[in-house]
Amino acid sequence: MILLPVIGTLITSFYRDVAFMPRALTFPDNYVRLFADSRFWQSVRFTLLFTLLSVSIELILGLLFALLLNEALPGRGLLRIMLLLPWAIPNAVSARVWELIYNYQFGILNYLLMTLGLVSHPVNWLGTQSGAMLAVLAADIWKMTPFVAIILLAGLSAIPREIYSQAMIDGAGMRQRFFHVTLKLIKPALVVAVLFRTVDSIRVFDLLYVLTGGGPGGGTTSLSLYAYKYYVSGDLGYGSAMSVVVFLIAFGLSLVYIRLGRFREAVQ
Amino acid sequence: MTDARRLGIMKLAGSIFLIAFAGAPIVWMAVISFARHPEFLARGASFAFSLGNYRDILTDPSLGILQYLRNSVIVSSISALLVTAIAFVSAYSVTRMQFRFRSSIPIVLLAVSMFPQISIVGYLFRLMTSLAWINTYPALIFPYTAIVLPLAVWLMMSTLSQLPRDLDKAALIDGASRWRTMRSVILPIAMPGVISTLILAFIFSFNEFMFALMLTTDYGARTIPVGIALFTGLHGETPYGQIMAGAVIAVLPVVVLAALFQKRIIQGLAGGSLKG
Repeated sequence: MILLPVIGTLITSFYRDVAFMPRALTFPDNYVRLFADSRFWQSVRFTLLFTLLSVSIELILGLLFALLLNEALPGRGLLRIMLLLPWAIPNAVSARVWELIYNYQFGILNYLLMTLGLVSHPVNWLGTQSGAMLAVLAADIWKMTPFVAIILLAGLSAIPREIYSQAMIDGAGMRQRFFHVTLKLIKPALVVAVLFRTVDSIRVFDLLYVLTGGGPGGGTTSLSLYAYKYYVSGDLGYGSAMSVVVFLIAFGLSLVYIRLGRFREAVQ
Repeated sequence: MTDARRLGIMKLAGSIFLIAFAGAPIVWMAVISFARHPEFLARGASFAFSLGNYRDILTDPSLGILQYLRNSVIVSSISALLVTAIAFVSAYSVTRMQFRFRSSIPIVLLAVSMFPQISIVGYLFRLMTSLAWINTYPALIFPYTAIVLPLAVWLMMSTLSQLPRDLDKAALIDGASRWRTMRSVILPIAMPGVISTLILAFIFSFNEFMFALMLTTDYGARTIPVGIALFTGLHGETPYGQIMAGAVIAVLPVVVLAALFQKRIIQGLAGGSLKG
């Protein structure tokens, strides 16, 4: 059911399929065109950089939140609900909120930075390459850190308490307990979180479409967004070729995941 | 300072940070939705409370916010019910019956659930155009069912494989049919897992953006994330007050679900990805 459209996309990518022009089999023209398209490479670079940065930061922050929520805390239920909210809110809606927060003239981020004296002029968050990169990263980290935290929390809560008491009896300090007990035992959860997040991040679309529109100068155009622009402009063949590339990257990574998953079974 | 005390302070600081981290953008959304002048920070003015933004978007039908919300709730509810029903039946057959390649099903499901939407949307657009389904509910319900299904089957499988087979056997010996066993014996005890799946499927469908953007054209079927994303003023200005009021209304259903079913959602997310 879901394979059919993927094959359909693959076939379309072999054709010149442009609105108001006769359809013709032109393989491998679309792929040759990709190679020569500097904007395509720009979006490849952006997608990979965005994925690397967002996933690593979300992993560290998510682990900290998971460690916190694994402790006995007053109001833990409330904390968990708070953590779920960013994840549960539609990306397209939170992107509008971020757009307002980053607003050059009346956004609260510039207001706070100016009031605290951290910057002397308002920052043009969405109008500069680096500003836009930071802006989309922050928005993604806000939304997806909770997901990572939830996966890691499940890993943490499966660790029996006795292991810690035993490690303490053996004279392991807090740091040693963290690196030699905690991290080792939640490795499967870490693998799951990293790969789910990586594959999800490779296909990032909603946030960029709404928050930056891929700009400025195409600096925040992901592969999905670039392909989408060709779909909308009527060039289905070229858009499909690009979609095939996104698919191959995501599929390659899920194969890695499956390998690691097997590896996990073998280890246990 | 003792270790215990230092740990206590760390926990408190961590909790405050977590609440600020997750809550700040949501609070700001709510604040602006009640602001008479959403750009008050630039004018050096102070916040002035007003319900005007809500009045505008709720009474002006041309803005369509309530219609979008209705579309979203209908599409997501039907998709969630459909997906959960299909997932329950398929997971039941996979976990209870023996056939070749059974052990590779979870891995295939996982691989399929990672398909990028962009590699499907062009084909869907063409398909829905030829069916004349563009801007109708089925144009969204069927794709949503398809994309959420792998995860739903995965979740149901992890629930059902934990239930003892002896239950089935006892019912079958007593003369119940497979169908009846599944419905009257297994379904009631699998309820917690079914509810997790329903809620997650609803949230995933509710939040979907790319398909809804491509396959709907106006308030006939447009969902609320797309409605909020494309919200602009009549004269090209950006009415942030109204947008934030719309955003608050848009997130209400998922916020209520998250608050009520926090445990189920967390179990579903964690169970779906860790047990295989």
